[in-house]
Amino acid sequence: MSLVKETIINDPSAQAPMLDLHEIQATVLRIRPAPYFGVHVILSVDDARAGREAIRRLTPYIDSAKGWRIAANAWLGVGISYTGLQALGVPRESLESFPEAFRVGMAARASQLRDEGVNDPKNWDPPFGTGQVHIGVTAFSDSEEKKRRALAIAREQYEGLSGVRVLFMQDFGAQPGDLNPLGYKDGIDQPAIEGSGDEPLPGQGPRIKAGEFILGYPGEAGVPLPMPQPDVLGRNGTFVGLRKYQSRVGAFNRFLRAHGSTEEERELLAAKLVGRWRSGAPLTLAPDVDDPALGADPRRNNDFDYANDRQGRKAPFGCHIRRMNPRDTELTRLTDVNIHRLIRRGTTYGPPYDPNALSEEADETPRGAYFLFISSKAMATMEFLQQEWIQDGDFIGAGDERDPIIGRQEEGATFTIPREPVRRRVHGIETFNVLRGGEYFFMPSLSALKWIGDLTETNSIGPKER
Amino acid sequence: MATATANRPKQNLTVDQKLQVLRELYADAPEIGKAALKNGLTTLTEELAAPGRAQTAGRIGARQGKVSELTVFLPFVKGGAKRLRGLLELLEGNFRAADAVGTVHDMRFVFVDNDTKLLFATAYDGDFDPYIEDFASKIPNAMDLWLCNFEGYPGMRNAKAAADWIANHQIAAEAWYVNSPNLTAPETRRLEKVGKAVEGLLDQIG
Repeated sequence: MSLVKETIINDPSAQAPMLDLHEIQATVLRIRPAPYFGVHVILSVDDARAGREAIRRLTPYIDSAKGWRIAANAWLGVGISYTGLQALGVPRESLESFPEAFRVGMAARASQLRDEGVNDPKNWDPPFGTGQVHIGVTAFSDSEEKKRRALAIAREQYEGLSGVRVLFMQDFGAQPGDLNPLGYKDGIDQPAIEGSGDEPLPGQGPRIKAGEFILGYPGEAGVPLPMPQPDVLGRNGTFVGLRKYQSRVGAFNRFLRAHGSTEEERELLAAKLVGRWRSGAPLTLAPDVDDPALGADPRRNNDFDYANDRQGRKAPFGCHIRRMNPRDTELTRLTDVNIHRLIRRGTTYGPPYDPNALSEEADETPRGAYFLFISSKAMATMEFLQQEWIQDGDFIGAGDERDPIIGRQEEGATFTIPREPVRRRVHGIETFNVLRGGEYFFMPSLSALKWIGDLTETNSIGPKER
Repeated sequence: MATATANRPKQNLTVDQKLQVLRELYADAPEIGKAALKNGLTTLTEELAAPGRAQTAGRIGARQGKVSELTVFLPFVKGGAKRLRGLLELLEGNFRAADAVGTVHDMRFVFVDNDTKLLFATAYDGDFDPYIEDFASKIPNAMDLWLCNFEGYPGMRNAKAAADWIANHQIAAEAWYVNSPNLTAPETRRLEKVGKAVEGLLDQIG
């Protein structure tokens, strides 16, 4: 018990697994293009046979991660919820091999996810949390035209099948400068994955074992994570948590104006909340004034740690990026930061950020983001992040404070900015991004999609209501 | 359900009803107890009227505010008691792994039933389940060194199984009192530092 610094002896003969890139869906590893254009489609399956027909027809058009560095074309991805797997007639023993949190769905895990108050599933937009969300199809592209073509191909596969309904469609992307709804460049810091063939960008940190993000490979503990059965269904698949956020742009702008009397003060405060200037330049490297060239350079904009910011005087402990990836920050609780990472695919919808929107009506202008959080244990990681790193501040010495960007705030919430000689405590933090929907999806490998599409009535249990 | 109260059935009783239940419970109590109930009625009435503070922690156990209790009875393997007693004696009260965990307020190791079982009781912040993988990754040896002395322990590298094993041996406390339920261990350390700094500042001014 006296030994604090421990090492697990790695087998030197063990090679980093080369991933089956031709099996893994492109969305898992392919970086969002810039600029990006896309659409989310949600399908509901009323008839198992028709549902499988749609999967069978879609599968040849679902892109693998092979050759994923080339992001010049449009690609399609597909995810299936637990009620979707039921509706498609996946056999009972397979269904039971999925993790509990996935089976009950995101809405039923609201208390573990701290999705309470304004974020309570009872306030969500349809069709989220209804059990009717079965299949999610997403098209990603670098142009509007290619997105339209990809969508047209997808539609040909499911339209006209009686027993498969389109519940919902949402365009995303196409923002000037690819800024998010609060006006920041985002999606910069992604985990580096061992065996994916990508060269980590400076500051991306050590490569994390592939098994943390893709099923069937060793994770950080040296063994593969539990996998849905049979093997062909689970292997090379992963889980996706979808979260729909409505950005309260008016409230955000009102907050900045209430606490900054000049444009410079407001922009510094905006940067302190996130840990980056709107340009993406990190405060750790540009603590006093924005450096747009730094923000735009992927080889420099993430190349930092917190060794020279132990007091949080550049990037406050409670800022969004220091919470979501504390790097080498000394945490109050024993934590392995490598096992709480997620691949993030932010997809922004609605009109672009308007710095002059101040009204309460602006808070409800449909505008926000659908976030895809990808990991072999997405459910457990999201619950951990919500409980420990988003809806609490104790882990980083910030007491009761919550994430200023995606946290749900209580009346009287504060944000502390460490400073010499005394810290500044900003009052009046509100919930700037409200949760309006969420679902868990399984993102199967291409072989698994084929397996699902080829299921027959004899081994299926037919559609079932939740 | 972190916010659920532990004593649900009694939650909706009025103070008078609670007092009535107590009188019935103490009807056959020793004379000292009966007298205490009668003489202490004023204080007791106030206590019973106060809003309940009891909550449950994680899968099993009690919590008040941010502080949870964990109580386990662990059966020793052959020779386990001797090994653990030896280890604890040599550590002389130094528990660096507990310091590193950061959320542990206290731990007590009590050998019971002729050294066949250990009563281990601790107060800690929040839930331990979310951090079990972190223990497995960061301090597997420290955990295995003492827990290997008990029947059925699967090893910390099998984090999920280890968490289940602990929960299976857990006995929820019937009642749990925390003096400062909103002070986590890290917050206590932070306030210690702030307190010292403020005293230093006041020393300079005065």
